[in-house]
Amino acid sequence: MRDVMVIGAGLSGLLAAIRLRQAGLSVALVHKGRGGLQLGQGTVDVLGYRPQRVARPLDELDEFLADQHRASDIAHPYAHTGADAIREGVGYLAELLGEDYLVGDAEVNVALPTAVGALRPTAYYPPSMADGVVSLDPAKPGALRAGSAVVVVGIREFKDFTPELIAGNLALNDLPGGGRLEARADWVSFPARDGEVDSTGLNIARALDDPARRGALVDQLKALGRPGETIALPAVLGHEDPTAFADLRSQVGSPLFEIPVPPPGVPGMRLNDRLTRIAKEARVEVFLGSNVLGADSAGGVLQAGVVGTTGHDTHLKARAFLLAAGGFESGTLELDSYQKVSETILGLPLAIPAGELIHDTWAGQQPLFSVGVATNDDMVVVDPATGEPVYSNLYAAGGVLAGAQRWDEKSGEGIAVASAVRAADAIISNLAGGQR
Amino acid sequence: MSDLLDTNETAVEELGPRPGLAPGQTVWELLAAVSPRIKDNPNTYEAQQLNRVSLDQCVKCTICETMCPVAKVTPLFSGPKFVGPQAERFRNGESVDHTLDYCSSCGICTLNCPQDVKIAEINSMARAVMKKDHMPLRDRLITQTELEGRLLTPFAPVANWALKQKPIRVAVEKVVGVHRDAPMPVAQSQSIKGWLKHRKGPAPRRPGQPDRGPVVFFTGCAGTYFEVETSKKTIEVLEHLGFEVLVPKQGCCGLAEQSNGLFDSARKRVVKLCEQLNAAGKELTVISSSGSCAGMIKHEAHEIMGVDDPAVRSVGTRMRETSEFLLDLFDEDELPTDFKTLEMKIPYHAPCQVKSQGMGMPAIRLMELVPGIRVIESEENCCGIAGTYGLKKEKYDVAQAVGRNLFEKVKEHNEGLAVCDTETCRWQIRNSTGVSTVHPVHVIHAAYGLSDVFSPEV
Ligand SMILES: Cc1cc2nc3c(=O)[nH]c(=O)nc-3n(C[C@H](O)[C@H](O)[C@H](O)COP(=O)(O)OP(=O)(O)OC[C@H]3O[C@@H](n4cnc5c(N)ncnc54)[C@H](O)[C@@H]3O)c2cc1C
Ligand code: SF4
Ligand code: SF4
Ligand code: SF4
Repeated sequence: MRDVMVIGAGLSGLLAAIRLRQAGLSVALVHKGRGGLQLGQGTVDVLGYRPQRVARPLDELDEFLADQHRASDIAHPYAHTGADAIREGVGYLAELLGEDYLVGDAEVNVALPTAVGALRPTAYYPPSMADGVVSLDPAKPGALRAGSAVVVVGIREFKDFTPELIAGNLALNDLPGGGRLEARADWVSFPARDGEVDSTGLNIARALDDPARRGALVDQLKALGRPGETIALPAVLGHEDPTAFADLRSQVGSPLFEIPVPPPGVPGMRLNDRLTRIAKEARVEVFLGSNVLGADSAGGVLQAGVVGTTGHDTHLKARAFLLAAGGFESGTLELDSYQKVSETILGLPLAIPAGELIHDTWAGQQPLFSVGVATNDDMVVVDPATGEPVYSNLYAAGGVLAGAQRWDEKSGEGIAVASAVRAADAIISNLAGGQR
Repeated sequence: MSDLLDTNETAVEELGPRPGLAPGQTVWELLAAVSPRIKDNPNTYEAQQLNRVSLDQCVKCTICETMCPVAKVTPLFSGPKFVGPQAERFRNGESVDHTLDYCSSCGICTLNCPQDVKIAEINSMARAVMKKDHMPLRDRLITQTELEGRLLTPFAPVANWALKQKPIRVAVEKVVGVHRDAPMPVAQSQSIKGWLKHRKGPAPRRPGQPDRGPVVFFTGCAGTYFEVETSKKTIEVLEHLGFEVLVPKQGCCGLAEQSNGLFDSARKRVVKLCEQLNAAGKELTVISSSGSCAGMIKHEAHEIMGVDDPAVRSVGTRMRETSEFLLDLFDEDELPTDFKTLEMKIPYHAPCQVKSQGMGMPAIRLMELVPGIRVIESEENCCGIAGTYGLKKEKYDVAQAVGRNLFEKVKEHNEGLAVCDTETCRWQIRNSTGVSTVHPVHVIHAAYGLSDVFSPEV
């Protein structure tokens, strides 16, 4: 029997599995596909908007939670994890990945240019975005500040990045401390493979993994850059080689940064691949491509997860279970045509806000997205009606949790990380207690 | 069903007749012409339908694109999202994108799709239609694995000599289309049947081990004729652990034909094989050291070819790959682990067809139960061979490029041995690295003290 079965290999499932394994527990990680990490931007958002832009997420957490509490009777996931688990979780993630993958500070947000030339708040980012940081903290200027000159460079063969649009909007944005950037657009050509006129970002990144191919890009960038300018490129500067970006930057010899683009999101892939590798090397047992179909239980305790192994179902026994299977976007939560929401794997009771779930204001928050499973402070899944655990050994983390508007708040990654660490630590101490 | 047919008929009328599709003929009528069984069996139709309908779940997240090992190495292939859910909408009987033939059917895309789109299955079905009028002779020949084994075994030394002669291989490439450098099995002078007939009875049970009753062993063609040593070792390990190993008369599972789009003969083979395996006992666990053949019976027969036969379903639910079976015993506290220490670093590659069985990678945990063994996982999606894909002269280079990182890793980390669970993948790794590559059961056999881990690989 395994100690823990983790369902889902998104950010929360991977991180929890690694932490559990490092504590010496045996862990089976079962997932049906890749999680949302590689579709994101490769950054870690803790809290971006409340709804005004957040500069110091942990300092502003109490006020944010108080506002949330007034607006809804469903507790926000951060109300359970608290600021400490966010600090602990993001720090743990950054330490696991190392400074080649993630840098930043959970206390202070920065703003980063987006693929439409807006400025997006986030807490941690890959080092390849550091030269594009606009500070939200008046005491600490970022790499880009009022008057900085940026040249946004498109790659002809890559269609998902329009430098004129980005530069135009960037130059119109008032910076947090006042003033604006100067921005212009330019183009280079870099066919990822012979004769390719329409390359994916990933193909370009793979080409740039080859040191011999980088020169062609470097020469063009050197030729178009003006003294004092920072160069912005789509986030396709190397995939598997973690030194690709640093090498390009030093060869070009001027500040250089990546702007995230629509999927395939290479910076997210880098994080996903690295975390998966860490998990496997730690001997988390990974079951890829296996749907969890349900579970066996007795006397309020989960006994085995039912895994859809081909040919037969495998009843995978474990002492504790962590549901980290994401929300609507991964099919764990489902809305039917009668407006009934359900959790599709274990049929858990859900916390559902009162009133209509979807309204027709396009820009506003949709109550539906705060539906999810309720937990206590140990991330044990509870029945929202009674507050009692549904199963004494079932925990939940990440996008399946009730109470957040992840996309509006820009909190999805922070919640995933904080709840994963909180759940893992509770499992570790409970299983150790059970052994004694 | 009728809704879909109606829609297609309207479309055909509006657009006029299309090549491949007779006027008024629907996609499903065309498929039925390729595979007559579709007509007789509503479940087959539904199984195919389910795969096809899953394309509506595609959210265009591109995750499959990022994982496809073929699209990674060649612009000759448009990639899973494009030839799968995207092209399928437009296929309406004819093939809209012939790069589909470059899909190796490794199934990696389906495994990684978070929305359960049956990408590889859709591709395999579409390829069967695309190739129906011009199936290359080569694809008909290389799928006759059983026949090849039976022909080569009596002439093993000659056959092995011939397959190493460059001029002969060049001629074979010209005439048949099998690449001159493609890996070939080593013909054995004795098949597993011969060995079973001539040995002096079962291997001795471990001291004090009680009888555990019978299990059925499915050898697979490769395990019968070429990888005979793997079959022997599996039988001996099982007997050592107290099982009575039944090896009924058995043919081929049809996997090679399936992956080449020859669905009808593949269906006949897999049904016949499962009837043969059932004859040994309808309740018994069926064990196989041919990872890909196990996958064929467990799910591909059903999911790709729509086989809905009670015999296949029955064997499929009882089928276990050897490592899966032994590790299940371990998890039930029933596997003796008094293994010998084997100080060794072993590169291991989990073949795509083993990955697609959704059972994780049991071989890693199993081998690491042996003190001293450290497994280095290849972390590569596919070795390139993908059954018979890498043998074909037009695809050989692509297959080599797919396997390149794996080969480098094996060369860098091996201490004389690499491990992989399926036969053709082992031939590919051996051929491309020069490193002896064996099934995990070789390691377990040695750890029980039944042989040396460097005993002959074939
Ligand atoms: C396109 C996109 C952009 C985003 N952008 C941002 C952003 O800018 N800022 C932000 O904070 N957040 C963003 N997010 C959200 C953020 O990525 C998630 O909130 C966070 O990663 C949640 O991770 P998770 O581990 O809970 O779930 P997921 O990453 O969704 O992973 C779920 C896992 O569970 C598996 N699974 C589901 N059902 C089953 C089953 N039955 N059996 C087995 N496995 C199953 C899935 O296959 C997957 O592996 C974005 C998400 C997406 C999809
Ligand atoms: S992974 Fe699945 S959902 Fe995503 S693009 Fe591919 S087929 Fe569509
Ligand atoms: S089956 Fe393999 S080769 Fe074919 S599209 Fe999917 S991942 Fe690519
Ligand atoms: S995989 Fe199946 S078809 Fe191929 S040789 Fe083995 S038994 Fe025969």
